[in-house]
Amino acid sequence: MNTHATKTDEESLTLQSKLSEIARVPPWIEKLTARHAIPGRIQFAMDLCLEEVLSNIIRHGYAAEPNHVLVIRHRNDRDGRFTLIVEDQSPAFNPLLVKNPAAPHSLEEISGGGYGIPLLKQFADSIDYEVLSNGNRMTIAFVDRDSARPAPRTTSR
Amino acid sequence: MQISTEELEGGVTRVVLDGRLDIAGAQAIDLKMNVIAGSHKRVLLDMQKVSFIGSMGLRTLVVPAQAIKGRGGKLVLFGPNEMVESVLKASAVNTLIPIYHEFQSAVAALQ
Repeated sequence: MNTHATKTDEESLTLQSKLSEIARVPPWIEKLTARHAIPGRIQFAMDLCLEEVLSNIIRHGYAAEPNHVLVIRHRNDRDGRFTLIVEDQSPAFNPLLVKNPAAPHSLEEISGGGYGIPLLKQFADSIDYEVLSNGNRMTIAFVDRDSARPAPRTTSR
Repeated sequence: MQISTEELEGGVTRVVLDGRLDIAGAQAIDLKMNVIAGSHKRVLLDMQKVSFIGSMGLRTLVVPAQAIKGRGGKLVLFGPNEMVESVLKASAVNTLIPIYHEFQSAVAALQ
Protein backbone atom coordinates (compact mmCIF):
# COMPACT_ATOMS: atom_id res chain seq x y z
CA MET A 1 0.00 0.00 0.00
CA ASN A 2 1.35 3.38 -0.93
CA THR A 3 1.11 5.26 2.35
CA HIS A 4 3.42 7.54 4.23
CA ALA A 5 3.28 9.69 7.32
CA THR A 6 4.85 13.12 7.72
CA LYS A 7 5.56 15.41 10.65
CA THR A 8 2.37 17.31 9.89
CA ASP A 9 0.31 14.23 10.64
CA GLU A 10 -0.70 13.76 7.05
CA GLU A 11 -0.90 10.37 5.42
CA SER A 12 -1.78 9.59 1.86
CA LEU A 13 -3.08 6.76 -0.25
CA THR A 14 -2.80 6.67 -4.03
CA LEU A 15 -5.30 4.63 -6.02
CA GLN A 16 -5.62 3.74 -9.66
CA SER A 17 -8.91 4.69 -11.29
CA LYS A 18 -10.52 1.28 -10.97
CA LEU A 19 -13.51 0.48 -8.76
CA SER A 20 -11.66 -2.55 -7.38
CA GLU A 21 -9.05 -0.17 -5.94
CA ILE A 22 -11.64 1.23 -3.52
CA ALA A 23 -11.28 -2.01 -1.54
CA ARG A 24 -7.91 -0.61 -0.35
CA VAL A 25 -9.61 2.27 1.44
CA PRO A 26 -11.25 0.57 4.46
CA PRO A 27 -7.99 -1.00 5.72
CA TRP A 28 -6.28 2.38 5.27
CA ILE A 29 -9.02 4.05 7.32
CA GLU A 30 -8.67 1.35 9.98
CA LYS A 31 -4.99 2.19 10.31
CA LEU A 32 -5.82 5.88 10.59
CA THR A 33 -8.46 5.10 13.18
CA ALA A 34 -6.00 3.19 15.31
CA ARG A 35 -3.25 5.78 14.91
CA HIS A 36 -5.40 8.84 15.63
CA ALA A 37 -8.09 7.39 17.94
CA ILE A 38 -10.78 8.35 15.44
CA PRO A 39 -14.27 7.68 16.87
CA GLY A 40 -16.27 4.84 15.31
CA ARG A 41 -18.95 7.18 13.97
CA ILE A 42 -16.36 9.20 12.10
CA GLN A 43 -14.59 6.08 10.85
CA PHE A 44 -17.88 4.91 9.34
CA ALA A 45 -18.58 8.35 7.84
CA MET A 46 -15.07 8.53 6.32
CA ASP A 47 -15.52 5.08 4.84
CA LEU A 48 -18.90 5.99 3.39
CA CYS A 49 -17.90 9.39 2.01
CA LEU A 50 -14.75 8.04 0.38
CA GLU A 51 -16.64 5.18 -1.26
CA GLU A 52 -19.11 7.66 -2.73
CA VAL A 53 -16.55 10.27 -3.80
CA LEU A 54 -14.06 7.80 -5.28
CA SER A 55 -16.65 5.74 -7.14
CA ASN A 56 -18.14 8.93 -8.55
CA ILE A 57 -14.75 10.11 -9.82
CA ILE A 58 -13.85 6.72 -11.29
CA ARG A 59 -17.19 6.05 -12.98
CA HIS A 60 -18.04 9.56 -14.14
CA GLY A 61 -14.94 11.75 -13.93
CA TYR A 62 -12.59 9.23 -15.47
CA ALA A 63 -15.37 7.44 -17.39
CA ALA A 64 -14.05 4.11 -16.03
CA GLU A 65 -10.70 4.56 -17.80
CA PRO A 66 -8.23 2.66 -15.58
CA ASN A 67 -4.94 4.50 -16.17
CA HIS A 68 -5.48 7.54 -13.96
CA VAL A 69 -4.77 8.15 -10.30
CA LEU A 70 -6.60 9.50 -7.29
CA VAL A 71 -4.75 10.72 -4.23
CA ILE A 72 -6.33 10.75 -0.78
CA ARG A 73 -4.68 12.54 2.10
CA HIS A 74 -5.68 12.47 5.74
CA ARG A 75 -4.94 15.35 8.05
CA ASN A 76 -5.42 15.27 11.81
CA ASP A 77 -6.04 18.87 12.78
CA ARG A 78 -5.59 17.93 16.44
CA ASP A 79 -8.73 19.76 17.52
CA GLY A 80 -11.14 16.89 17.08
CA ARG A 81 -11.38 17.57 13.38
CA PHE A 82 -10.29 14.90 10.90
CA THR A 83 -9.91 15.91 7.26
CA LEU A 84 -9.73 13.91 4.04
CA ILE A 85 -8.48 15.58 0.87
CA VAL A 86 -9.19 13.87 -2.45
CA GLU A 87 -7.46 15.04 -5.62
CA ASP A 88 -7.95 13.78 -9.15
CA GLN A 89 -7.22 14.93 -12.70
CA SER A 90 -10.65 14.36 -14.20
CA PRO A 91 -12.75 17.15 -15.78
CA ALA A 92 -14.01 19.74 -13.32
CA PHE A 93 -17.13 18.62 -11.48
CA ASN A 94 -18.54 20.10 -8.32
CA PRO A 95 -20.79 17.56 -6.60
CA LEU A 96 -22.00 20.22 -4.19
CA LEU A 97 -23.99 21.75 -7.05
CA VAL A 98 -25.96 18.54 -7.60
CA LYS A 99 -29.47 18.89 -6.21
CA ASN A 100 -30.71 16.17 -3.94
CA PRO A 101 -33.46 14.05 -5.51
CA ALA A 102 -36.99 14.53 -4.27
CA ALA A 103 -38.05 12.14 -1.53
CA PRO A 104 -39.90 9.18 -3.08
CA HIS A 105 -43.48 8.54 -2.02
CA SER A 106 -43.58 4.87 -2.94
CA LEU A 107 -41.18 2.00 -3.44
CA GLU A 108 -41.91 2.12 -7.15
CA GLU A 109 -40.66 5.71 -7.29
CA ILE A 110 -37.28 4.96 -5.74
CA SER A 111 -34.45 5.13 -8.20
CA GLY A 112 -31.87 2.39 -7.95
CA GLY A 113 -29.15 5.03 -7.94
CA GLY A 114 -28.49 8.64 -7.05
CA TYR A 115 -27.87 8.10 -3.34
CA GLY A 116 -24.14 8.77 -3.37
CA ILE A 117 -23.85 12.55 -3.34
CA PRO A 118 -26.74 13.07 -0.89
CA LEU A 119 -25.08 10.59 1.49
CA LEU A 120 -21.78 12.42 1.12
CA LYS A 121 -23.44 15.70 2.04
CA GLN A 122 -25.19 14.21 5.04
CA PHE A 123 -22.31 12.28 6.57
CA ALA A 124 -19.56 14.88 6.15
CA ASP A 125 -19.45 17.80 8.57
CA SER A 126 -18.03 20.10 5.92
CA ILE A 127 -17.13 19.81 2.25
CA ASP A 128 -14.96 22.21 0.30
CA TYR A 129 -14.61 21.84 -3.47
CA GLU A 130 -11.86 23.48 -5.54
CA VAL A 131 -11.12 23.38 -9.24
CA LEU A 132 -7.41 22.80 -9.82
CA SER A 133 -5.48 23.67 -12.95
CA ASN A 134 -5.50 19.99 -13.84
CA GLY A 135 -8.39 18.50 -11.93
CA ASN A 136 -10.40 18.66 -8.73
CA ARG A 137 -9.77 18.80 -5.02
CA MET A 138 -12.37 17.93 -2.44
CA THR A 139 -11.71 18.55 1.22
CA ILE A 140 -14.04 16.64 3.51
CA ALA A 141 -13.95 17.23 7.25
CA PHE A 142 -15.41 15.23 10.10
CA VAL A 143 -15.89 16.58 13.59
CA ASP A 144 -15.65 14.70 16.85
CA ARG A 145 -18.58 16.25 18.65
CA ASP A 146 -17.16 15.28 22.02
CA SER A 147 -14.51 17.97 21.48
CA ALA A 148 -15.08 21.71 21.25
CA ARG A 149 -14.83 23.02 17.71
CA PRO A 150 -16.13 25.61 15.27
CA ALA A 151 -19.47 25.23 13.54
CA PRO A 152 -19.60 23.00 10.43
CA ARG A 153 -19.59 24.67 7.03
CA THR A 154 -20.08 23.72 3.39
CA THR A 155 -18.46 25.82 0.72
CA SER A 156 -17.37 25.63 -2.89
CA ARG A 157 -15.31 27.86 -5.08
CA MET B 1 -20.03 -10.42 1.70
CA GLN B 2 -21.72 -13.71 2.45
CA ILE B 3 -25.37 -14.52 1.78
CA SER B 4 -27.42 -17.46 2.95
CA THR B 5 -31.11 -18.31 3.00
CA GLU B 6 -33.38 -20.16 5.37
CA GLU B 7 -37.04 -21.06 4.88
CA LEU B 8 -39.20 -20.20 7.91
CA GLU B 9 -42.78 -21.19 8.71
CA GLY B 10 -45.49 -19.26 6.94
CA GLY B 11 -43.68 -19.03 3.65
CA VAL B 12 -41.13 -16.53 4.93
CA THR B 13 -37.61 -16.63 3.52
CA ARG B 14 -34.90 -15.35 5.82
CA VAL B 15 -31.93 -14.00 3.86
CA VAL B 16 -28.86 -13.49 6.05
CA LEU B 17 -26.19 -11.04 4.91
CA ASP B 18 -22.76 -11.04 6.53
CA GLY B 19 -20.07 -8.49 5.75
CA ARG B 20 -19.70 -5.13 4.07
CA LEU B 21 -22.40 -4.01 1.66
CA ASP B 22 -19.99 -1.78 -0.22
CA ILE B 23 -19.32 -1.80 -3.97
CA ALA B 24 -17.59 -5.18 -3.87
CA GLY B 25 -20.14 -6.63 -1.47
CA ALA B 26 -23.04 -5.44 -3.59
CA GLN B 27 -21.50 -6.92 -6.71
CA ALA B 28 -20.97 -10.20 -4.90
CA ILE B 29 -24.64 -10.70 -3.99
CA ASP B 30 -26.64 -8.76 -6.58
CA LEU B 31 -27.32 -11.77 -8.76
CA LYS B 32 -28.37 -13.96 -5.85
CA MET B 33 -30.58 -11.21 -4.45
CA ASN B 34 -32.29 -10.84 -7.80
CA VAL B 35 -32.85 -14.60 -8.01
CA ILE B 36 -34.38 -14.54 -4.52
CA ALA B 37 -36.56 -11.59 -5.45
CA GLY B 38 -37.80 -13.43 -8.51
CA SER B 39 -38.74 -16.57 -6.64
CA HIS B 40 -39.92 -15.53 -3.15
CA LYS B 41 -42.71 -13.25 -1.99
CA ARG B 42 -42.08 -12.88 1.73
CA VAL B 43 -38.48 -11.97 2.42
CA LEU B 44 -36.93 -11.07 5.76
CA LEU B 45 -33.52 -9.58 5.09
CA ASP B 46 -31.41 -10.17 8.19
CA MET B 47 -28.85 -7.35 8.39
CA GLN B 48 -27.51 -7.97 11.88
CA LYS B 49 -24.07 -8.86 10.53
CA VAL B 50 -23.84 -6.09 7.92
CA SER B 51 -21.10 -3.74 9.11
CA PHE B 52 -21.25 -1.15 6.33
CA ILE B 53 -23.58 0.02 3.58
CA GLY B 54 -22.99 2.53 0.79
CA SER B 55 -25.07 3.75 -2.13
CA MET B 56 -24.42 0.62 -4.18
CA GLY B 57 -25.52 -1.46 -1.21
CA LEU B 58 -28.74 0.52 -1.00
CA ARG B 59 -29.39 -0.34 -4.62
CA THR B 60 -28.88 -4.00 -3.74
CA LEU B 61 -31.77 -3.68 -1.28
CA VAL B 62 -34.08 -1.43 -3.26
CA VAL B 63 -34.12 -3.25 -6.60
CA PRO B 64 -35.16 -6.63 -5.12
CA ALA B 65 -37.68 -4.92 -2.83
CA GLN B 66 -39.27 -3.31 -5.89
CA ALA B 67 -39.33 -6.63 -7.74
CA ILE B 68 -40.91 -8.46 -4.81
CA LYS B 69 -43.54 -5.77 -4.36
CA GLY B 70 -44.25 -5.89 -8.07
CA ARG B 71 -45.07 -9.56 -7.67
CA GLY B 72 -47.42 -8.85 -4.78
CA GLY B 73 -44.93 -9.68 -2.04
CA LYS B 74 -43.00 -7.81 0.63
CA LEU B 75 -39.42 -7.42 1.84
CA VAL B 76 -38.55 -6.19 5.33
CA LEU B 77 -35.21 -5.40 6.95
CA PHE B 78 -34.25 -6.87 10.29
CA GLY B 79 -31.64 -5.77 12.78
CA PRO B 80 -29.36 -3.26 11.05
CA ASN B 81 -26.76 -1.73 13.37
CA GLU B 82 -26.95 1.94 14.30
CA MET B 83 -24.62 3.20 11.57
CA VAL B 84 -26.14 1.08 8.81
CA GLU B 85 -29.57 2.25 9.90
CA SER B 86 -28.37 5.85 9.75
CA VAL B 87 -27.61 5.35 6.04
CA LEU B 88 -31.02 3.78 5.46
CA LYS B 89 -32.62 6.77 7.15
CA ALA B 90 -30.46 9.39 5.43
CA SER B 91 -31.51 7.97 2.07
CA ALA B 92 -35.17 7.67 3.17
CA VAL B 93 -35.12 4.01 2.20
CA ASN B 94 -36.48 3.24 5.67
CA THR B 95 -39.73 5.03 4.83
CA LEU B 96 -40.48 2.56 2.07
CA ILE B 97 -38.76 -0.63 3.20
CA PRO B 98 -39.69 -1.21 6.85
CA ILE B 99 -37.01 -1.86 9.45
CA TYR B 100 -37.59 -4.09 12.48
CA HIS B 101 -35.36 -4.78 15.44
CA GLU B 102 -37.50 -7.57 16.93
CA PHE B 103 -37.43 -10.76 14.94
CA GLN B 104 -41.03 -11.77 15.66
CA SER B 105 -42.26 -8.34 14.60
CA ALA B 106 -40.38 -8.65 11.33
CA VAL B 107 -41.89 -12.09 10.67
CA ALA B 108 -45.37 -10.87 11.64
CA ALA B 109 -45.10 -8.00 9.16
CA LEU B 110 -44.76 -10.53 6.38
CA GLN B 111 -47.87 -12.56 7.29
